Parts: sequence; C-alpha cells; structure tokens
Amino acid sequence: MTPSAEWTVRHFHLGLLRGASFLVPAQQRAEWWREWHAELWHVRQSCAPAGCASWGGVREVTAFCLGAFQDALCLKRHCGEKARPWAAFQGSPAQCIVFLGAVLAAGFSIALLLPGVRAERSLMQRGVNRGLVLIRDAAADNDAAETISFGHYRAWARQKQQYFDGFAFYRVTQELAVLESAPAGSPENEPWGVARATSNLFALLRLPVQFSQLDSGGELPGLILSEAFWKREFAANPHVAGSIVRLGERKYRIAGVVPDGSWRLPGKVDAWLLQPESAIAPDRAGYVVAHLTALGDEEMWRPRVPITVFNANQSEDDLLGISLDDGMPQPWDVYLFTVILAFLALPATTSVSLGEYSVCSQRPSGWRRLCRWSLLSAKVGLLLPIVYFVSLDLAYGCTSFEPTRAVYIQLVSSFLMCLFGMGWVLRDQRQRCPVCLRRVEHPAQVGQASWNFLAWNGTELMCMGGHTLLHVPGLPTSWFSTQRWLYLDTSWEFLFAGPGPVPKKELLTGF
Amino acid sequence: MAPDAKLSHTAAMILQALDRGFVYGFSIMEMTGLPSGTVYPAMRRLERDDLIRSQWEKQSIADAEQRPPRKYYKLTAAGRSTLEASRKRYPLLERLIPSEEVKTL
Repeated sequence: MTPSAEWTVRHFHLGLLRGASFLVPAQQRAEWWREWHAELWHVRQSCAPAGCASWGGVREVTAFCLGAFQDALCLKRHCGEKARPWAAFQGSPAQCIVFLGAVLAAGFSIALLLPGVRAERSLMQRGVNRGLVLIRDAAADNDAAETISFGHYRAWARQKQQYFDGFAFYRVTQELAVLESAPAGSPENEPWGVARATSNLFALLRLPVQFSQLDSGGELPGLILSEAFWKREFAANPHVAGSIVRLGERKYRIAGVVPDGSWRLPGKVDAWLLQPESAIAPDRAGYVVAHLTALGDEEMWRPRVPITVFNANQSEDDLLGISLDDGMPQPWDVYLFTVILAFLALPATTSVSLGEYSVCSQRPSGWRRLCRWSLLSAKVGLLLPIVYFVSLDLAYGCTSFEPTRAVYIQLVSSFLMCLFGMGWVLRDQRQRCPVCLRRVEHPAQVGQASWNFLAWNGTELMCMGGHTLLHVPGLPTSWFSTQRWLYLDTSWEFLFAGPGPVPKKELLTGF
Repeated sequence: MAPDAKLSHTAAMILQALDRGFVYGFSIMEMTGLPSGTVYPAMRRLERDDLIRSQWEKQSIADAEQRPPRKYYKLTAAGRSTLEASRKRYPLLERLIPSEEVKTL
C-alpha cells in the first residue's frame, strides 16, 4: 500500500470515528473520542502497521471503526433512559398541578401588567363610596341636563337632612385653555370641559388625586385633570403636574389627576376646579350629588326614586334621585355569580360522577382516597383563581371597552371558563388511577357496538404502574352505566416496568 | 446489581476476559472474538451497572511507550460475584477464556 493510500485510509478511519462521535451525547463525546482514538491506534498497530499495511488489515480496522457507531448509539440510548424522569412526570398529578399553577401565574402576571385591569383593581381596593345619588329636576328630559340651581343646593346643604348627609355641587362649562408652561406632548389650544365644583366633591365621591399638588404651589388655584383626558391629551405624562393653564383671564396650576370612577357623573369633564361655595357663581344651574344616610339608603330601593322637596314658599318641587352606582356590578360580584351559575349548570354538561365504583373488593386505602380528594380540591382551588384573573384580563385588558361591555365580557368568559374548566377537572379526575393518581393510558376498544346487549363493549385504559384497569362503557346500560375500576393484584406487576427507568436486569439480558 | 442476576453469555464472556487480565477493549475483542460493536456497548452497560469500572492510564506511561494513553477496565466486587454466578450458569466459560497461565504458554 502506497504512503498516500495509507494516509487516505488513516483519515478515512478517523472520519468514521468522527462521524460516529456526533451520535454521542455532547457531555460524553470528548472522553468517547479519546478512548476510541487510542484504541484505533492499537488496532492499527496490530492489524495494519504503518509501512506494511495490507488490504485485509485495513478491512479489519474499518470493521473496528464501524463498531463505533453501535457504541455511540448505545450511549445515546443510555442518555435517553436517564431522561426518563421527565417521562415519569408526564401524566403525573404533579404535572397537572404545575400546569394549572403556571396558567394561574400567567393570568395573575397579565392582570398586574394590563393598565385597565390595574385601574379596576385599584378601584375595588380603595372602595367605592356607596349610596351616592344624583339629584335632578323630575321634569328634565335627560340625566345630563343641569337642572338644580346653586341656591337650592346651598339651602339643602345648610339644613340637617333626614335622608342625606352630604351634598356637592358642580357645573360644566366649555372654556378655552391655554397652557403657559406646556410639557412635551401637550394638546393644542382648544376648549376644555371644566367642571367648577364645591370643594367637598372628591371627598364625597371618595376619589383620590394622583400626583397631588393641591397643598403646594402657593397662590394659584389647582386644576385637576380627569384621567381619560390626561391620558388622551397628555399621553399620561406625570410631569404635567405643576404646569400653568390660563382659563379665560385667570391662571391655574395643574395639581393632579383624578381617576375615572365607575359611577359616570353626567357632563363631559376634562378638568375639575374645586372651589369654595363663595367662589361659585350662583347664576346657573348645575348638578347636585348627594350621599344617602342609612335611612335614605333603605328608601333608595330602586335606581330612580322620586324626591319631594318643600321650597321656601312651602310649595313642592318634584325631583328625581338617580343612584350613581346602579347597574354596574363589581368584578368580584360578577365572578361569584358566574361561578355559582356554572356549578349549577355543570351536571347538565358533563357527568359529575368520579367513577368510584369497583368491580372487586380491592379498594384503595383511606389514605389513598384522601390523596385523590386532595388532588381534586387542589385542581378546583387553582382553577377558580385562574377563572377570576383570566376573565379580568379579558374584560378589562382593553381600556377602550365601555364599562357595560366589560361586565358582559367578564360574565360570559368567567361562566364559560368555569363551566368547561370544571368539566375538564372532573374528566381528568375520572381518568386518574385511584392508587397512584397517574392518568391511565393506552385506550383499547373492546367489543363492538352491536354486541352491546349480548356482551360488554367500550374502552379499556390501563394504569402504567400496573395498579388498575379502567372500563368505560361505550353505551351505558342498566347493568353497566358508569366507568368501573378493576384493581390488579401483585401477580400483574411483572408485566409493568413502572414509570421509572427500565430495571437493569432487563437491560443486561438484552446483550 | 444482585450477584445472582442472570447475565447474557456475551456479558459473562467479557467479565471472564477482564478477570483473566485482558483489560482493554481491543484485547477483549481479540480474546473473545466479538466485534467492537458488541464489546464496547456491553462494557458501557456493565460499567453503568457497577460490575466493572474504568480508569485512564497515566500519561507518563503512555508517553514512555510513545503511544496514546488507553482506558482500561477492571472488575468490581459486585462484578466478581456476578461472574462467579455466571460461571455456574455457563460451565464452559472458563475454557473459552483461558487463564493467565494458559495464555502465556
């Protein structure tokens, strides 16, 4: 054999080994290559020594190198067997709990991130001042009309009332606003809807002011932007607080942002100007918001209640009290309602039986049954908060939704998720082996539908731990209406490798 | 692994070869006549089952002989017990792999 042929053959053998090495798992490749490379050197010395190699020797060396592929594949399979703990995780109760936990974490995280959901949650946390009523003239065409004179308001506010313990007044005017020290992204000069309100309005509504600078800034009175206007016109810029705005002849300082309430006060308000009563011109009518006493709350049994007021002339004025928190159920109330509704509807959509019936007396111990019920409880316990947070994400994720639409979205999504989620929980539970709580696998169709009245037909599923066999009838009959568990005794164990690694004995005998 | 575990004939031959002092993969191939694609995977499994263990030769020894260092294998205590059990199962095993004295003759 010529030196060039020897060189070619030597590199061919090395190439074979290198090719086989790519089959070896990466963490073992270096040592595998080192061993085979060293062995090749000795094989070559023995069969085809340099300078006197024969084609027969080369064939032997080649055969040796081809064996490297089998060795590499063996190592690859061995590595796959080590990866079996992950396979054991499949179908286990832990997998189910981890999956539900991950969905819950995702739903909760999204709820924390979405601004609409955050706003709704903060509204829930700070609590809405219940018992708020808008008072208007009963003869007015619509709720948006400014119908109560400032004089009436002042008279009511100064007298001790039986049904009300607080009054606030405001009116809305369109005023041209000019920003003097405008931050970036400030709106063009255009009329703003400015509500001039009595100074107790926000306290009555229990509305907090963000970036509040009401108490600082000295001489200029504070102007508070509505949240929607602040986001729309100032791109939610927090540095807008402190800017100077000219309304007509007077200057004001932007003192904060007030969140939009769920009660929807009438009038399109872009900015609020809280003023003492003496500063509000008594010439025009406006809106009056009142807070009910406990007695008044009992009387306010409908969203709209007629109110009769005796004026200074002892004549009667017919007014209308409109509840400001009517028709907008809180997300938590919607959720509870839908959960109860879904639990009531559940038996109509899926079987609520857990298929506990056993065809033999070998039932699992009390501890096993407790574990089974604990798993079911854990799944339900994780599902319910998932339904809550995901329905909040869907309903309030998009801030452009109307509040009514958001409530409907939450109603439908929460109901459907709870209904189908509970159906899944029960189906999953029915297909879990009562002994090891793993899902039964390998469904096998047994019999034919035409045999139904002569013999059994349906599906059989097996626990891979060798504990149970599940019979699910194809067509429920009077003598076999629900699924049954058949508990296998220990004589069946030799058939099952179990979820863990294959026993070594089995591998060794396979040489 | 239990000493009474049943080894295949191939695995028993490899253990016997190791016991007789053939401690490298290629030398076991030569002695047993088994191909490399059988011997090396079998040794991997035996090592995984703690019947044998491997060790790299010292670099200095290999350098002195101007060759690459080799990985050699030796029986563990469990491997020795398993081999004893296998000898009872395969009575011809000792004749197939001659002892060190016979080999040197």
